Amino acid sequence: MSSTLVPEVPVTNGREPAERAPTDWKTHAMQSRIRKRYAAERRFRLLGLGAVALSAAFLVFLLGTMLINGAGGFVRTEIALPLDFPALSLDVEREQLAQRGADLALAGAGLQNAVGVAAVSAFGDEGEDYLADNAWLTVREAIKDDPSILDRRVTIAVPASSRIHLAATDDAEPAIEAAAARLNAAGALTRGFNWSFLTGSDSTDPTSAGIWGALKGSLLTMAVTLALAFPIGVLSAIYLEEYAPKNRWTDLIEVSINNLAAVPSIIFGLLGLAVFLGTFNMPRSAPIVGGLTLALMIMPVIVIAGRNAIKAVPPSIRDAALGVGASRVQVVFHHVLPLALPGILTGTIIGMARALGETAPLLMIGMRAFIGSAPEDLASPATVLPVQIFLWSDQVSSGFVEKTSAAIIVLLVFLLAMNALAIYLRNRFETRW
Amino acid sequence: MTDNSLPATKMSARDVHVYYGATHAIKGVSIDVDQENVTAFIGPSGCGKSTFLRTLNRMNDTIPIARVEGDITLDGENIYSPAMDVVQLRARVGMVFQKPNPFPKSIYENVAYGPRIHGLAPVKSDMDRVVEQSLRRAGLWEEVKDRLHDSGTALSGGQQQRLCIARAIAVDPEVILMDEPCSALDPIATAKIEELIHELRGRYAIVIVTHNMQQAARVSQRTAFFHLGHLVEYGVTSDIFTNPRQERTKDYITGRYG
Repeated sequence: MSSTLVPEVPVTNGREPAERAPTDWKTHAMQSRIRKRYAAERRFRLLGLGAVALSAAFLVFLLGTMLINGAGGFVRTEIALPLDFPALSLDVEREQLAQRGADLALAGAGLQNAVGVAAVSAFGDEGEDYLADNAWLTVREAIKDDPSILDRRVTIAVPASSRIHLAATDDAEPAIEAAAARLNAAGALTRGFNWSFLTGSDSTDPTSAGIWGALKGSLLTMAVTLALAFPIGVLSAIYLEEYAPKNRWTDLIEVSINNLAAVPSIIFGLLGLAVFLGTFNMPRSAPIVGGLTLALMIMPVIVIAGRNAIKAVPPSIRDAALGVGASRVQVVFHHVLPLALPGILTGTIIGMARALGETAPLLMIGMRAFIGSAPEDLASPATVLPVQIFLWSDQVSSGFVEKTSAAIIVLLVFLLAMNALAIYLRNRFETRW
Repeated sequence: MTDNSLPATKMSARDVHVYYGATHAIKGVSIDVDQENVTAFIGPSGCGKSTFLRTLNRMNDTIPIARVEGDITLDGENIYSPAMDVVQLRARVGMVFQKPNPFPKSIYENVAYGPRIHGLAPVKSDMDRVVEQSLRRAGLWEEVKDRLHDSGTALSGGQQQRLCIARAIAVDPEVILMDEPCSALDPIATAKIEELIHELRGRYAIVIVTHNMQQAARVSQRTAFFHLGHLVEYGVTSDIFTNPRQERTKDYITGRYG
């Protein structure tokens, strides 16, 4: 019997090979090797810690700057404006104030001028400049709330102009600083939460500029994006993973999707401009077009994440379901999809977060226009938060600096809220049994 | 049953060939599986016994490169004919897999899933009865009756495999295919499954693939020996193990190769 599988024992001149000396673990070389190994471990740990600390520091710096700068954007300075209505002699009928034409009646009676006159008589020749352009609107609301004030002297807190606000909170020209100091000494200046920032839309005057228009634009755009990209992306992922034959065409599709996910976003903007605006003549600056464009952009991300999540579902679950006589569709919708959903949602969050912060493609489809009112539907002109931030950061008026930071805070809160919702949904689906 | 010496044939295969792409995995297998007995498929690894088992309920359909030739009938109906609905076929020919694979749902839902998708128990009380009966037949009821709504994946391996058997039973199949059902289990769990196979015999036609010859000898009445894609020998289990007619069968059983 020749056993070729057993290696021959090497024989050297008929003697056994020399015995190996027992290893001495205590030698100097061994000790220094141990020390070196420990040092390498320590170095690596410190490097990792340093990297984490550095990124945390950047994050803290970023958030800190935003919060400090942006906090001012949520606050406005108000001036206590004494109004002697009998002296101002507004020509307005009392019964008109109870009706729907009250705004028109007060405007027609010259309320805006009357407020200016009151400011001049209270604070001197430049008094009118101390008030914000929309200060008379506050007075109008006060009259509508209680028409009886038209018969007496009252003091109403109205928003101060951006220059007074800056002088009161920050540095400004000496002349206006002095005016603000005088007003402050007279106890006329107060600070209040700027509700109009959360309810108003873009304006050329920083005191009356608000974020609601851009926020609503973002909400509508995101709704369109999600409604299109999620179902189409998930269905594509299911089809490619569960139904499509594996051949050259599906390989080509896979490569194309991977490439699409890496295409710079501005290219999608050009595509939206050419296709949706150029070919289909859809309205410019509209959330529906923004949503369509962003949906195209994040669809590849959802398809890739969805395919990976579906691929990760163990084949034994598919076998089990097929084995009791489930059809392909039942296997997918009863077993594969519920198990893949957490992963799909994670991909969707990443995609949606990217879409929410996207500016470039929306500039291409005209969402950078000045929009003075919140969009009413998907087809009306709108802007979105990141574009609004971009526009305000470009403004020369210094009052917009803190508005920009405040808008960034709103964007981040929106982003956090969206992510929190998605994580909540993901956890819910993960613990369904 | 018409004749005691010739039990009714439940499934029958004639000259079946299976190809995986260019690989010829099953080469002309003809076999009859009868209603009353447990049939064991034995053979060395890679001999095609699992592949052949999966042709019996068309699980190979899910593999795009697999191709099946020849005739396989269930009660005389060709299961590969276009008239046969594959979903119904898999309900009639249930399957238990090598690794226990309960759904990540509750024990109750695991068993109720099959009857629900086939509309076998539309009323809740019917479904409760089906679930209880299936779990009883699978010998699991006493162990899980107080925690039917716990996750099926939290059970031990042996319990999971019996849950999978209960899940297969719940759709009221005619044949149960078992693909090495004990290979992932410890000896005690294995003994329970074997005992269960004894109890299920007669109610369902059972085909079991195993690479454990002692198991085949213990649980089956008919044994088929596969080697390199061929069906080498098929006969009464005691004959195969004590008096094999083929040299290759004898060599395998006596441990010459495997």
